[in-house]
Amino acid sequence: MSKTAHRILITFYFAVIIFSIFMLINFGQSYYSTPISERFFHAQYQLLEPSGLIGHGLGIFGTLLIVFGMLIYIVRKRWKKVAEVGRLKYWLDFHIFLCTLGTVLVVFHTTFKFGGIISVGFWALVIVWVSGVIGRFIYVQIPRTIEGRELTLLELQNIKKTADNELFDKYGIDFSQISTGRISSIRLRHLSKLVSQKDIAKLKKLIRKQKILKNRIKRLELMHKLFNAWHIAHLPFSVIMIVIMVIHVGVVLFFGYKWIF
Amino acid sequence: MSFQRYIFILIIVVQTVLKANAQISPGELHKSHAHLEGASNCTQCHTIGNKVTREKCLDCHKEIKAKIDEGKGYHASAESKSKNCAACHNDHHGREFKIIKFDKKNFNHAKTGFVLKGEHAKQECTECHNSKRIKDPKLKKKTSTYLGLSQDCLSCHDDYHQGKLSSKCTECHNFDSWKNAERFDHSKTKFPLLGKHLKVACIDCHKVEVLNGKKVQKFTGLNFANCTPCHKDVHNNKFGQNCKQCHTEESFHFNKSMKAFDHDKTDFKLIGKHKLVDCKQCHKGELTAPLKHGRCNDCHKDYHKGEFVEKGKVTDCDRCHTNNGFTPSTYTIEQHNKSKFQLEGAHIATSCTACHKKDMKDWSFRNMGSRCVDCHKNEHKGFMDEKYIPNEECTACHTTKSWKEIKTFDHSKTGFKLEGEHAKTACAECHYRKDTEGRRLQEFKNKSKECSECHTDSHVGQFAVNGKTDCTRCHGFDRWENSKYNHNTSRFKIDGKHVGVKCEECHKPVMNEKGRYIEYKFDNIDCSKCHS
Repeated sequence: MSKTAHRILITFYFAVIIFSIFMLINFGQSYYSTPISERFFHAQYQLLEPSGLIGHGLGIFGTLLIVFGMLIYIVRKRWKKVAEVGRLKYWLDFHIFLCTLGTVLVVFHTTFKFGGIISVGFWALVIVWVSGVIGRFIYVQIPRTIEGRELTLLELQNIKKTADNELFDKYGIDFSQISTGRISSIRLRHLSKLVSQKDIAKLKKLIRKQKILKNRIKRLELMHKLFNAWHIAHLPFSVIMIVIMVIHVGVVLFFGYKWIF
Repeated sequence: MSFQRYIFILIIVVQTVLKANAQISPGELHKSHAHLEGASNCTQCHTIGNKVTREKCLDCHKEIKAKIDEGKGYHASAESKSKNCAACHNDHHGREFKIIKFDKKNFNHAKTGFVLKGEHAKQECTECHNSKRIKDPKLKKKTSTYLGLSQDCLSCHDDYHQGKLSSKCTECHNFDSWKNAERFDHSKTKFPLLGKHLKVACIDCHKVEVLNGKKVQKFTGLNFANCTPCHKDVHNNKFGQNCKQCHTEESFHFNKSMKAFDHDKTDFKLIGKHKLVDCKQCHKGELTAPLKHGRCNDCHKDYHKGEFVEKGKVTDCDRCHTNNGFTPSTYTIEQHNKSKFQLEGAHIATSCTACHKKDMKDWSFRNMGSRCVDCHKNEHKGFMDEKYIPNEECTACHTTKSWKEIKTFDHSKTGFKLEGEHAKTACAECHYRKDTEGRRLQEFKNKSKECSECHTDSHVGQFAVNGKTDCTRCHGFDRWENSKYNHNTSRFKIDGKHVGVKCEECHKPVMNEKGRYIEYKFDNIDCSKCHS
């Protein structure tokens, strides 16, 4: 997948989520902004209440999206038979998209009423989602191969060294003297008379990449620790969320709330 | 993933589930249901596999169920009956959720089986739906219940009538006002209102009395067997107590049956002709309006126009008249004879009208004079010398017995003394004669004293001297036969054999152009006249 195609896909995911939020707010703003003790008397109560036609549907679809988004990512990550299908990065994007959209739908399913067992589930969901966002940030801080495999510190240092050498040999620039990754063209010319007009953009990019790599190498240890810690938050809360969701669905079905069925 | 990590996850999950056990509820219950909070109580309301059913609700809310079973109250209405309780009374919306909420202004109270009409419709709900009016001790404790009210008026309203009337106020009152018992139909009572009673204000009969320290208008126990408990007997029991015998409810001034009314019980008994008179003849206005009746004149016009006055006052009719009619009068001849004009002679037999109603138009009793000429015409006026009727006073000659009877008249005053047969002859023989048409003509004045004035000369002028025959030369005033004639004074002296001869032997009747007469004067007195 080209970078542009990836961007379009990300934009699409983003648009779908924003559009869903917008549509739900637009449709239910009046109901959702009504105090809980008054909602029963709202005209849209029958539609939007958690057990209402739309409200209940949101819960079901949101849950299905989360469960599906979760399962598909776990399967891709854990099941070796499909380890080669698509880049893990794209699966992660898809996982984030489905779980975020699911979360959005579930939030509207709750009608912003956070109490009882389901609130625990909800807050677990929120923690999982937020941790997911944080995890995504940590994840990208850890350099990987094109397949998504983590690079070791040695591999990284070799990559950095190759680049350092390239800079010095080709342009006579000592990377250790460059403090910032964002460097102006004037400063580049000042640093090296060997830099042609054509190479400036390439050189700039290389310097930036090298700077990021330098920082990542510097933070690699920390990121690894954080990533480990992150798993403690993201996964257990996912499990908590799923367990409560199951209890919630169980109780609801037990008492006969079967949506349209 | 390390073993420690899984342990960590498990602890969190278990704790969460345990915690969730108490928090499975989707929201706080209403304060009235607060005691049902907790996961173990879910099935108190929720039916497994069938959400929340009516039956579950009504298992607890027995007071509602009882009402539904009775078919009373809003919850027994078609609108409510078809619904699940939770459709209106939802829960899990917090302690302060209005579990009973409805549009109070537009609520159709008729669905409760009690239509709000009139003043009821204007009241705030709490005017009736408050614990003061609830009898059931359990419901009374509830702060905001619409249950527990009875439809009996007196469950909310004080009994103004203090149990004297039906407890069903609506039998008489409508919902607009207590004051007007619009539904009350007096005609269905034992005392239907008729006539003027319909216009009488209630308070006029139904007085306010004080009962148990409260003012109450009295509607029962009124004595209406007869009229006098309300109406004053203006007749002072003169006609008894049954006013209806004469009066109707239309008016006391209206007598429903004159036949039933006994006028004799009044101060004015109807006697004689009064019995035949229509009431309105006397009672011009209302029959009961006071009427002066002490004197006849109070009703009757003084026919005699004040002619009968005594001591300055007009005497009443009953002095001369009775109730049996104005005629005949009870005035007697004896009474008349005590007047200035005594009735005597022919006057006694004369009808009153002859003198007192001369023109047969109006009666007249005063200023009619007491002289004969005031009534009688002076027949002799112009025919008789006025000296014989001085001052036109008839009594100079006549009496009241008869015109024909002449009291005393000295005929000699006329220069013609009545002697002999003349004295015996009726005046009219000489002074009245009939003319050719049979009319009586009187002759007094200028009546000649000559015999021929009255008498016919049966001697056909044989003894006339100078054309006049003086009967008295031979006849006196006695009978004609008694002649004082002396035959020896004639040319033929009676002597010899002639003495004793009857007159008619010589004076025989003759019949010639002068008529039939006895021939007394002979042209020839020779013997041959008689003797052959």
